[in-house]
Amino acid sequence: MTSQPEPSGLQVDIIPVQGELNVGPQHPGSGHMRIYVKLSGDIIEDIDLDVGYVHRAVEKLSEIRNYMHLIPLVERPAILDAIHMNLGYILALEKILGVDVPERAQYLRSLAAEINRIASHLYGTGILGIFLGHSTAFMWGFGDREVWVEILQALTGARVTNSYVIPGGVRRDLTPAIKEMIEKALAYQRRKVKDWYKIFVNNPNIRSRLENVGVMTNENAIKWGAVGPNLRASGVYYDVRKIEPYAAYSKLDFEIPVYKEGDAYARLLVRFEEVEQSMRMIEQIIKEIPEGNILSDRFFKQIPPTRLKKWWEGQKKIVFPGYYASFRPPKGEAVSRVEAARGELLYYIVSDGSPKPYRLRIITPSYRMIYVFKQLAKGARYADLVAIYGSLDYFPPEADR
Amino acid sequence: MLSLSHIISLIKFYLFYPSFFAVIIFPGLIFTTVILLVTIWFERKAAARVQMRIGPLYVSKRTGGLLQLVADAIRIVFSEIIIPNGVNPTLYVLAPVLPLAFSFIPMVLIPFSSIPQSGSVLSPYYYDFYDPEIGQGVLVGYFVEYNMVLVLGILAIIPIFILLQAWATNNRFAILGAVRESLLSVSYDVLILMAVVAIALEYHTLDIARVVATGIPGIIANPLAALVFFVGMIMGTGRFPFDIVEADTELVLGPATEYSGFLFVLAMGGGYIATFAYSFIFADLFLSGWAPLSGLPGALITSIKAILVLWFSVFLRSVYGRYRLDQALRGSWKYLLPVAFASIILGLVVGWIWIR
Repeated sequence: MTSQPEPSGLQVDIIPVQGELNVGPQHPGSGHMRIYVKLSGDIIEDIDLDVGYVHRAVEKLSEIRNYMHLIPLVERPAILDAIHMNLGYILALEKILGVDVPERAQYLRSLAAEINRIASHLYGTGILGIFLGHSTAFMWGFGDREVWVEILQALTGARVTNSYVIPGGVRRDLTPAIKEMIEKALAYQRRKVKDWYKIFVNNPNIRSRLENVGVMTNENAIKWGAVGPNLRASGVYYDVRKIEPYAAYSKLDFEIPVYKEGDAYARLLVRFEEVEQSMRMIEQIIKEIPEGNILSDRFFKQIPPTRLKKWWEGQKKIVFPGYYASFRPPKGEAVSRVEAARGELLYYIVSDGSPKPYRLRIITPSYRMIYVFKQLAKGARYADLVAIYGSLDYFPPEADR
Repeated sequence: MLSLSHIISLIKFYLFYPSFFAVIIFPGLIFTTVILLVTIWFERKAAARVQMRIGPLYVSKRTGGLLQLVADAIRIVFSEIIIPNGVNPTLYVLAPVLPLAFSFIPMVLIPFSSIPQSGSVLSPYYYDFYDPEIGQGVLVGYFVEYNMVLVLGILAIIPIFILLQAWATNNRFAILGAVRESLLSVSYDVLILMAVVAIALEYHTLDIARVVATGIPGIIANPLAALVFFVGMIMGTGRFPFDIVEADTELVLGPATEYSGFLFVLAMGGGYIATFAYSFIFADLFLSGWAPLSGLPGALITSIKAILVLWFSVFLRSVYGRYRLDQALRGSWKYLLPVAFASIILGLVVGWIWIR
């Protein structure tokens, strides 16, 4: 056995040709997880994603809560994409309950979802910007998101975690004042997107950081189970809104942007074009939204007339009928799919006839990106780790649930 | 017999003695410190304007939040200095001081202004700081005829201390940052040296003051060298888009990762002071320094030009992201090195034809 030399503070384990780096969980570029990077020089040989730092046991908790009380809980994993988390859950629940949703409520669901999609994409772009050191994109992303979050606040009463969608409809109606806000926001965002292209998307510095970085081929994207904008950036035409339309999407005219390149830059472009498509949809919705009720008659009839007069006729808000307190859906199981901002979001509910679900399973888009991230980072340069991370728009709390 | 006026004139003589005045007061240590604070204020305010926000305003609304910098400086200077276990404390403390010192030493050697034989408050030192190349005195801490070489030589030492900093902190992110710095320093030093060699050949001198006295700004006589020097300068001082060594989302803060409190101020301040020193060289070589004035107003003109260069280089933060290491290296060796050679040839030709 060799004797241990006295520590003088001068021994340094110089990074050998092969070395490891612990990126996170306390690191400016890791988010709520630990990325265990095996480096070979400047090239990443392999990464291990140590996820689960923000695991909140949403699936287990949902087995001891009433269906209605679950709405705020299932939003928590992705608070900046709350409408979609909420909507997917309600869609599955409605399949078990067998409720018809009025047309106007369907349009309002699409409206809130698209506003949320814009806000979420702007957030993701901002994070990508700061990962690449572009602080202006970071501030712009959060600043422009504010406009849409304010509209969500006017519409639903909360900036994030809106709990807007309820079984059989939505909670609040669209007012002329909100319509006016939306029109202003659309004009502002259209103007601003041009500036975005000037300073960020077409910036030669940003292009050279993103082009040909983290390339995911068509086959790999399918094999690794990528979803959402990341899948569409690899040339796969797949969007739940088109494949299996829910809410009002079958009546709306919109396109799905698809890029063949599959690199980080294509993923950024897909997001920006989706923002444009979402704005088109919002325009159509506020023009074409039909008159009518926003809650299914089955539940609407149960609201006491005095409360209906005060809240519905006065302020166009729904007060919960007593039925919601602890309803017991029939036995059965249901699966719902929605296209959340980051991709396909799947809910699976098993009901055993009690007021609580027997099992609730959530498969979030970020969860499906963990493997994609691991595969894409292999062989990239160390500086590209953050570019790949940001371009995937991976959101750890959503993956951990 | 010492009369009062005699004492005052003595004090005045020693106060304005260039080795003290230029180095300590203006545009040396005190002025530089103030400018650094104002520069950080400007950096925040300009970025805020681009980024649709207000910037510092909470402390002293009337002055546009200028006092916020003082508050921040006091807070960070008096926060706790943490020395990690298992480092050599002496080297750990010394490592951020050395780059700061060597960023500042060039300010002793850079000529800030010329001294006319009479009529200026600096005229008494005309003979002590006489520069035979321009036939006038120069306002400089210590006059060396070959100051161009000496200044660049001193600035080129800084990367070695940054390596020392990373070595002393014994942190993997710091080491990775140091590896990046060592790779980058080779390329940017070559660029800066070649740009300066082009100017030296063009103006037939190694004296910065002589370049200014010629009366032709370098940016007109040799725009290629100005471009190469500027890019080399922002690369060498880690300004965007070449903030590769301290890339915070990748390397936390590179070599400065482990530092806290006042040591952190020193570790980060070195970069700003080096930028300011390079800005002075840029102002002298390419923007014809103190021309058309001389004496103290001339030093003011030089400083304003240098501050504009400094502010432009910090403003780049709000326009650019950060390049990758291999992209920066490829850019400097593949694209800028040929430009640097072209600038030397241009310097030879122009120096032969135009500048005598």
